[in-house]
Amino acid sequence: MITCEEFFLEFGDYLENRVSPEVRKELELHVSQCRVCQVLYDSSRKTVKIVTESGSFDLPKSVSDPIIDRVMARLRAGPT
Amino acid sequence: MSFLSEVLLDDKFGPFVAFQEALGFVPNLLRAQTLLPRVIEAQAKLESAVRLQEGAISRVQKERILLIVAAERQDTYCVAAGNRVLSSFGVSDQQIDDLLNKHGHENLSAADLACLQFCLKLSRHAPSVHSEDIQALRAYGFQDESILETVFATALAAYRGILSVGLGPEPDFGTRKTTSRRVDPPRGVACHAPLPDPHGAAQKGPYLPAPYLSSKTFSIVQKSHGFVPNFFRSQTLRPDLLEAELEAVDRILLPEDVLTRTQKECILLAVSAANLNSYCVAMHCNLLRGLGMSAEEGDQVAVDYHLSTLSEADKALLDFAVKLGVRFTEFSRQDILNLQTFGFSEEQILECEVVVALNNFANALQMGLGIEPDFEPPLIPAQNKVHLSAATSRPIERGLVTPSLTEVLDPDARLVAEAQGGKLEAFEELVRRHSQLIYRALVAILGDPVEAQDAMQDALLSAFKHITGFQGRSKFSTWLVSIARNTAFQRLRGRKEAESLDGGECEEDREFRPRQVRAWQDNPEQCYSKSEIRQLVERGISGLPAKYRAVVMLRDIEQLSTDEVSRQLGLSVPTVKVRLLRGRLMLREWLSPHFTTRATS
Repeated sequence: MITCEEFFLEFGDYLENRVSPEVRKELELHVSQCRVCQVLYDSSRKTVKIVTESGSFDLPKSVSDPIIDRVMARLRAGPT
Repeated sequence: MSFLSEVLLDDKFGPFVAFQEALGFVPNLLRAQTLLPRVIEAQAKLESAVRLQEGAISRVQKERILLIVAAERQDTYCVAAGNRVLSSFGVSDQQIDDLLNKHGHENLSAADLACLQFCLKLSRHAPSVHSEDIQALRAYGFQDESILETVFATALAAYRGILSVGLGPEPDFGTRKTTSRRVDPPRGVACHAPLPDPHGAAQKGPYLPAPYLSSKTFSIVQKSHGFVPNFFRSQTLRPDLLEAELEAVDRILLPEDVLTRTQKECILLAVSAANLNSYCVAMHCNLLRGLGMSAEEGDQVAVDYHLSTLSEADKALLDFAVKLGVRFTEFSRQDILNLQTFGFSEEQILECEVVVALNNFANALQMGLGIEPDFEPPLIPAQNKVHLSAATSRPIERGLVTPSLTEVLDPDARLVAEAQGGKLEAFEELVRRHSQLIYRALVAILGDPVEAQDAMQDALLSAFKHITGFQGRSKFSTWLVSIARNTAFQRLRGRKEAESLDGGECEEDREFRPRQVRAWQDNPEQCYSKSEIRQLVERGISGLPAKYRAVVMLRDIEQLSTDEVSRQLGLSVPTVKVRLLRGRLMLREWLSPHFTTRATS
């Protein structure tokens, strides 16, 4: 079985689902037998899910519209 | 005497001894490279692994492949050498003539014929090789290892063929009489099989299984490329062949004492593009980005380096490389003399030729093994792809692969043209369309939502001021983000504790290891309201160091692809991957206390 260090080397691609079936098999085997890496993988996957679905840094139209309106008014007024 | 000077090397020079023992002579093809012994060592190692020992296919089968590909390329040097070697294995002159001439394959089994047919296809029209060709070999009883060796032998034939043309070595032996210098394909093989659509769905790879090998195996490329490309991971079925190839990379591509890394990567990019190898094009575009070349310039080198900002000398170097790599039948000693007028030394010319040889070796492997891309292909407009595939059956001439990066399909193009003409309504529509993107680009760098809103006005005014300078070499949204980033950087510079987005990875980063190892809830997001989660995430991201924040913002919040993030930030894909992982792990540390079983129970 691969070591935790080897697991960690592949970890980024594993999270991105970008490993070959052969590599995936090795990583899954490791995760099934190493509690620390199992927690790391599970919580990292959940982190990505939470972050991507959080709707963070959405700029509501109620905020962006006045900014754009101010800029356009300035441009229409011409060079100052 | 070959085209380049030779120096005397000790008879005990390892590669010479190896060839003397294996073949009974030292090929002039190797002696023609004595200006750079390390490239001889690279080739000797490759030949030793691929050719000079029995493997899943026999040495006679390998020599047949080398001979038939050499004959197909009208390469008299390699044909003569191949004749001699096959004779030494007891293959009769008649059998060799049969192999080299049409209608004379009675002595070959159906499986051997199928194998040669495959090799000729890979040598002639690599982009047209697909999974059905591999299936055909399997149907003839070829095992995966045999197929891998067959692909390697064909790739080696390409390597040797390039050097034979580029170096013009004296024949090792008098050319034996054959009825024709040129070989026709085995009977029943269409000479120009119709090309499938290279962008269709037919070519899904990789064609062969690739057992897991520890990343430590790939330490050479890990160090030089910053990651391990699928190209190398797809060859793990035979660690000995992989090792020889990695050593060739180490001895040919990585040293900087003759040509620079950037020059070599440009050669690999330009010749791969001319060979229509989109995998290698994407790879070398990314490596060039890692060496400091902008994404646009890399794309330009791929599409037409004549229109890039490379020096005239480097353009001449690429002309030389592309001619040798693709239009080799037109190559002559005069091309070397021409390149010398640009100030290139014999060592540099030799290294360029070896890089081209290695490139065609790699292109053949990639196509033959169906290796899947690591990255998205560069921005080459659809209409140019049509030109590219149509160009496979004829030599690529300057101007044929017309660069039209300005024609990149961009949904904003019409509005941009109107805005550039001074139409304010068009500009307004554009900024409303992309306001979210601009805002997030600002937050990514500034880290503070309120300041980002404040900076947005400056960014929009700056965009309007500079819009006439936008030339369509990227998508408009990409350009807009770069304006926003510049605006944010100006503000950052005003801060005392300026954060760097470009800073290298410090020791502390490299040592980063997760500390929180308590299990999380099954559905952690259900423990808090949506707005609470958003606040947690925003605080977490805002608290990241700038270089990680920028990558996480674009990849996980903006949900751009890794390749698009690398373009937006002007970073190589490997750097983006490293920063993304660290950023995510830092966020995990931040979120952990809120989502572990103990926290939520």
